[in-house]
This record gives sequence, structure tokens and C-alpha cells, in this order.
Amino acid sequence: MRFEIDVELNGVLHEYVIAFELEEGLKEVRVREEMLAVGGSPIYARAQSQVEFAQNRGAPTNGVTVEGFSIDWHLVALPILQEESRKDPLFIFKQWLASMLILGPIPSLISGDSNQETLQPDVPVTNFAAWFSGLLAHAPSAYSKIDAYLKQVMPDLVDIKNPVVGKDSRSLVVQFAAGRGSPLTQESLSVPFEDLSDGEKCFMICALVLAANAAYGPVLCFWDEPDNHLAMSEVGHFVLALRKAFQDGGQFIATSHNPEAIRRFSEENTLLLHRKSHLEPTTVRKLSDVQFSGDLVGALIRGDIEP
Amino acid sequence: MTNRFQPHILVLPEDDANSQLANGFLLDLHQAALRKIQVLPEAGGWIAVLDTFESDHVADMDRYTKGFMFLLIDFDGDEERGAYARRKIPERLRERVFILGARTDPESVKKALGPYESIGRALAEDCREGTDRTWGHELLRHNANEIGRLRQYVRAILFSS
Repeated sequence: MRFEIDVELNGVLHEYVIAFELEEGLKEVRVREEMLAVGGSPIYARAQSQVEFAQNRGAPTNGVTVEGFSIDWHLVALPILQEESRKDPLFIFKQWLASMLILGPIPSLISGDSNQETLQPDVPVTNFAAWFSGLLAHAPSAYSKIDAYLKQVMPDLVDIKNPVVGKDSRSLVVQFAAGRGSPLTQESLSVPFEDLSDGEKCFMICALVLAANAAYGPVLCFWDEPDNHLAMSEVGHFVLALRKAFQDGGQFIATSHNPEAIRRFSEENTLLLHRKSHLEPTTVRKLSDVQFSGDLVGALIRGDIEP
Repeated sequence: MTNRFQPHILVLPEDDANSQLANGFLLDLHQAALRKIQVLPEAGGWIAVLDTFESDHVADMDRYTKGFMFLLIDFDGDEERGAYARRKIPERLRERVFILGARTDPESVKKALGPYESIGRALAEDCREGTDRTWGHELLRHNANEIGRLRQYVRAILFSS
């Protein structure tokens, strides 16, 4: 198995490659090859257990090596290698990897409680409240971005509060206003975060994604089925808001089976994933390489996309 | 969802290609304007656009008086198609309905100008800036009257900061 990541950070191409092998008779895969290159020059290269560094990592030269060492074949070198400074390409690349947002929210598991701060939400986003706290601690101005987006989708939103509720704990509360002319006697309603609907929690996550990309981006956001839990009338707006926010930096990748979500992408940025059986790998093809007649969604629904 | 009681635009595309042009157009808008415009599922042909408009949207446009519609059709080289389509729009709604499209088909525009989304973005930029760098292309310039009206009625909805 071979994985390659090419990413442009600060205008410079960063290329990371890692390949694993499974020797016959062995039970564990091991690293066969690993390499990080910046601007075409290797920062480090590794063949099996031997790792070699390029000279002066802050300003990569043409792969002149000055030092090397051996590591366990079963360990990936990237997380082990020590960065020299914040300008070290190793640091920049690892920071980018760490800030990657890989999301498959399960709203029913997301509460508003937190007892720590983080910039790294977990896949089901169960640590949403810690992410909210961490993001605002990192960049307090991010709240204005969160507020602006949420007030577009929930015009009756007043604010989000994150009061201390214990020694080291906070709990998110969302306040809504009664609309003008409303028969309600009270002027506003405070709702504990966990009582929001699943779709509303997804709006909250979307708001944090937009704010995170602005505050500590560019980030790569991979969202598995972002249309889940949303009202049908919201799907298109939701996808386009994310696509729009990542136009000027970062990258947004979504998987979907939802017709409206698929329609909000175009042929130049849609890939078709298909797996014939559990014993064969998933194939990835550009839409322009796929034969179908009529509109894409119709062909997908009919199962007329050639395998 | 789009607030139908506020100024808004529904886009009814003929097919995938026109829908992708619309995607590009929307991606050039300000984030807040994205909720004032919605692209509907493709109708499946220019006649279907007119039929769908008549069956699904005429009554809605009477109800939601601040709504506008963009009907995206292919003209297929037929110079009479625009006039024919316009006659299908009830007189009372004509001011709020815009019929736009490629003189032949979007595939020809794509061959001349690049990917659909890029074209859509460029068309939105023209609307915003008041230029006709892309709308002035020979496959699109027949839309000039509609673009003039669009700037008059719709520009403030989509492009005000």
C-alpha cells in the first residue's frame, strides 16, 4: 500500500509519501519507504529502517544528507522526527496534518459540556464543546464568524454562552429570541446545547469549520455525508456555504449519496467511488471518465453508471 | 432555507450543464447572499423548464411577490426560442422572470471558455462589476437585454455588501 499527499502550503509544494509492505509469513505490515520533500527537495527520505536527513531543513538544499539513523521498520518516522523551529518544514507539514478536520458527526452523541480545550475535533465531533472553547481561546475573533453564519441559518439566534458550571467544566447554552409579533410572553429562550436538533448541531459544526479555516487554516476538511440530519431545503445552502468558505484557502472534500449535495458540485470536482466486491479495492474515477447518459443524479438513481 | 418573504431568486436549469454554470455563479457571491438564491433540480430539457415553471412556480410567484426566477435554457441556435419562452410567462410575472442560456448549448461555451464553474463565476463577476467580459462572448451576448434587466432588478439582492 502506498499513500501520497501533495499539498501547497505557503505557496510551496509539500510532498509526503509512505509505502507499507507485508512480507510473506509475517503478520504485521512494515514501512518500506517514506519521504517528505518540500519544493522538490527532500527533507528526509527513508528506505526500510534507514532514515536520512537533508542538510539545513529550514532552507532545503538538493538532498544533501548529513545524518542518518535507524528506526524500527514498524514505526512511521514522521511523528517521531523532532522539529527544529516553527519555520522547519517538518513543523509546518505536521501542523497542517494535525489541523485536518475529518468529520462524520453523530449529533445525538454531542453534548455541550467540556472540561478542556482543543483545536482537533474527533470524527463524530463528540468533543464539540471542547473544540468551541479551544477555537475561541485560540482566536476570540472567531466568534464573529460563527455568529454571522449561524444568524443566517437561524435568524432568531441571539448568542451562544459557555459558562463555567463546575471546577473545570463549561456547558454551552444557546439563546434564541422571540420573533417580532410572537404570541410568546417571554423575550428569549435559553436552550442547552444537547437539546438542539441534530440538524441545528450540524449548523453549529459548520460554523466552527468556517471559523477554524479562517482562524488557523488553511485546513483540509473531509466531511462524510454533510447532508445527513439536514432539512432538504438546507442541503444545497449548507454545501455551498462550505465550498464558498474554502475557495480562498484550504480544501473541502465531502462524500455523499444525497442528490442535492451531489448537484452542488460539478464535473470537474466530483469523483466517483466504486467497489465491485469486498475483495477488490475501491476505484476512484473522475466524472469525465465515466460513461452515463442524461443527468448524473438520474443515472446514479437508476444504477446506470458503468461499473 | 431561502426566506420566500424576502427578495430571493430561484434558478431552474434545463440540465446538468446549466446547473453547474449556476454553481459557479453562486460560488462568486458573498456568503450571506447564498441564502437568497437557490438552484432547483434540473428540469430535463428547455420545454420541461417552461412546463415546470407553469405547473410549479406561477402560483408561487403570485404568492411570494419578492421572488425572481432565472430560467436557464439552451437556445440550440434557434433565434425565436427566447421570444417563444417569454410568451409562455404570464404578463404579470415577466418583469420577475429572466430567460438566460447559451446561444447553442453550454458544451460549446465550455469548449470556448473553460470549465462550467469558472464560466459561472466569470458571469457573476460581470454582473457584479457591470462588465460584459464573459456575457459579451458570441455564444452569450444574445442575453444582453436580460442581463440589463437583471442588473436593474436583481443586482442589489445578490451583490450588495
